Amino acid sequence: MRKLALALATAVALVAAPAFSATVGQPAPDFSAPDLSGKPVKLSDFRGKFVVLEWTNPECPYVRRHYDSGNMPSLQKEVAAKDVVWLAVNSSSPSSGEFTTPENMAKWLAAKGAAPKATLIDQDGKIGRLYGARTTPHMYVVDPQGRLVYAGAIDDKRWASAAETKSAKNHVRAALGEAMAGKPVSVSATSPYGCSVKY
Amino acid sequence: MLRPLVLAAIALCTALAPVAAAPVRTPHVEAALIGERTAVIPGESLTVALRLAIIPGWHTYWRNPGDSGEPTRLEWRLPAGFRAGEIEWPVPERLPAGPLMNFGYKGEALHLVRIDAPPDLALGTPVTLAAKAWWLVCEVNCIPEEAELSITLPVAARSDLDPRAAGPIGAARARLPAPAGALSDWTLTAGSVTEGVALRLAPPAGFAVPEARFFPFDQGKIEPAAPQRLVAADGGYALTLPRAAQPVGAFDRVAGVLVFSPPGDPAPRAFTVDVPVVASAPAASAATLGLVAALVAAFVGGLILNLMPCVLPVLAIKVLGFANHGERRTGRRHGLLYAAGVLVSFWTLAGALLALRAAGAGLGWGFQLQSPVIVATLALLFFALALNLSGVFEFGSVLPARFAAWSARKPALDWFLTGVLAVLIAAPCTAPFMGAALGFALTADAATAFGVFTALGLGMALPYVALAWFPAWLAHVPKPGPWMVRLKQALAFPLYATVVWLAWVLGRQAGLDAVVWLLAAAVLVAIAGWLSGLPGSRGPLARGAVGLLVAVALAVAAFPRAGTAPPAAADGTWQPYSAQTLAALTASGRPVFVDFTADWCVTCQVNKKLVLARDDVLDAFRARGVQLVRADWTRRDPEIAQALASIGRSGVPAYVLYKPGRAPLVLPELLTRERVIAALDG
Repeated sequence: MRKLALALATAVALVAAPAFSATVGQPAPDFSAPDLSGKPVKLSDFRGKFVVLEWTNPECPYVRRHYDSGNMPSLQKEVAAKDVVWLAVNSSSPSSGEFTTPENMAKWLAAKGAAPKATLIDQDGKIGRLYGARTTPHMYVVDPQGRLVYAGAIDDKRWASAAETKSAKNHVRAALGEAMAGKPVSVSATSPYGCSVKY
Repeated sequence: MLRPLVLAAIALCTALAPVAAAPVRTPHVEAALIGERTAVIPGESLTVALRLAIIPGWHTYWRNPGDSGEPTRLEWRLPAGFRAGEIEWPVPERLPAGPLMNFGYKGEALHLVRIDAPPDLALGTPVTLAAKAWWLVCEVNCIPEEAELSITLPVAARSDLDPRAAGPIGAARARLPAPAGALSDWTLTAGSVTEGVALRLAPPAGFAVPEARFFPFDQGKIEPAAPQRLVAADGGYALTLPRAAQPVGAFDRVAGVLVFSPPGDPAPRAFTVDVPVVASAPAASAATLGLVAALVAAFVGGLILNLMPCVLPVLAIKVLGFANHGERRTGRRHGLLYAAGVLVSFWTLAGALLALRAAGAGLGWGFQLQSPVIVATLALLFFALALNLSGVFEFGSVLPARFAAWSARKPALDWFLTGVLAVLIAAPCTAPFMGAALGFALTADAATAFGVFTALGLGMALPYVALAWFPAWLAHVPKPGPWMVRLKQALAFPLYATVVWLAWVLGRQAGLDAVVWLLAAAVLVAIAGWLSGLPGSRGPLARGAVGLLVAVALAVAAFPRAGTAPPAAADGTWQPYSAQTLAALTASGRPVFVDFTADWCVTCQVNKKLVLARDDVLDAFRARGVQLVRADWTRRDPEIAQALASIGRSGVPAYVLYKPGRAPLVLPELLTRERVIAALDG
């Protein structure tokens, strides 16, 4: 009986979980947020395509490492060529001291040669909390059925110089590669690393 | 001749020589390597520390930084033969960042490293221990910083504590967690619970733990920001560690640092913990006893099955079959295959039962017995089974007789299927036992239910296997005879007693009227049993009448449920439970004792009669101003289920003592007067 209650509670928790936080293997919670031009972008609009969510913050040295080295922009372009939708999300709150205005965000992205499909301003941290985003960068991959297939770090080199970043194993590229080939994602959850999301 | 003297002189001088170290300043941190002693002694080890003096408001990170951040790293460049150990990390602080949590250091962070010196060093020559250090220093924003650091020490035959370094290093060492073995007089176990893992601590007798905190070594196991709840239970404590919202890898070990403050001891103590997580919470000793008793009863029940009138005569023939099968080894193999067939049948039954039960709605231990309809139905079922044992009627075979003669082509499969068929063919006799086992399993947890069916199957199969091994024992098998019928009839009486108990539970749940309706239904069942026991009862008319009677009986038993429950007995001593009552009482500053109980819970009744209702126990409560609350779970009550869950239980009995300023104390399931009074005074 105890076991049964436990199983039921787990089932309830799993069903209820998307209301609080995204879970790998479960439907990715839907959201809507304005892009840099103020136009609302909805996750479910991209049903049928792979979607990458990237938590970002230009003030964070980890994010800068992946942009200055060209690592993040080149991955964005690489997957865009495969019709993957890349959504960058900045959840820094205006009171955190690290808030970047949409204009400055656009300028910074252009300067770095970045190519996300859209960059979302999540200044109340709603999407960040919905997905349990902890760090910048914190990466998520959603499959065409809307299921979360990867959550965690961008790569396996937490501590790396910009040059070393190139030799790291990129978990997002690996997850997309496997999922697009119809295989199960072998590394579907890792511990994200980086600066805290500035809620 | 002079050399030793000179060396000694050099050694003496260099031992006093100042330690050369070069601090590096960054905008946020002053970093240096410091050595605990003034010299390196060949073949010995010394402690060197990376010291980060951090500007106010900023912090660096522990080995597990928590939700974000980065642990400080060291890469050593040491002279030949030297070896550096891993960083030893003092206990960190919890550093909240909005909804996130980090583990790290403010003010000053010391990272102790043991350096082993090779034995063949020339005395007098200085050695330089160099390292590159990386750290992430954060306030709100984060800055990765790094420095090339070194410390130069003379090699000498003896050394002294460096007065500038020994203080901070000694202080940091005092904040290192003790190794896991240091808790040898404690018992530490970890079990899965709904929210994550419960770390159970049983300290030595008399050792109180008012609060505790756990820092995990690995990310992705425990949610860093989630509160960890400590409750006293079963002579120890349980610290609930909520599972990470996004888990990484299996949470199969609790590895990290446990920090707690013994009362009256200002310095917190810290221990390294590394224990495996067992799949489910370890059962309380009382529950284990219950399980052992159930398994023994089921095993004996399985053995008795072989003595039933429709089994024993067949047993001898079957055994002769495989004893005469020629080769003894073949006989033995057939015996085992037969046993496997019996077991698989029983497991299939158990699996089907558990699947059925899982499809229903269960919300806590003993839920089935909380429903008056289930209690009444079980009472009728047991009554019908008892009538059967008394010989009022017989169950028909579930299989046509020709199936018994059926055999498969492959002998191995044939013997396996013989085991399966034996269970089915024996059904007319085994049904009462199976029914009772099913009834029991319905109200037990899955593991117990499975265990009971396994024991039943083993009991039933054992005589066959034993006889296959030792055909000579066949001579000692009791001869079938009228005694078998008397045994069967005698076995009816425990079932009648069970019906009485269930009727009492129903009376407590739904009142006297419900019991009368149940008894009326029982009369209908008795008529139905008598009808089907009459000669010629195979006719469609008789069958229809029996079916109708049983249906009416069930309807009658289930009829008067709504609104007939008597109010909870008002009792001057015990107040009925509600969350508000408990909150108000605990806020009053006096201790509160809560008795989570239910009428269908036998252990609860035993505890009530033998302990809680005793005058001396009630006097002890009164003398200490304890307020008594009774949470009666005889009927379903979500509020009580919630309260049970909050103390990590899913069923009754549970006894909780709330004392002002203390973690709630959960008493053992089997109470004694001494245990209760000790808890009051503890």
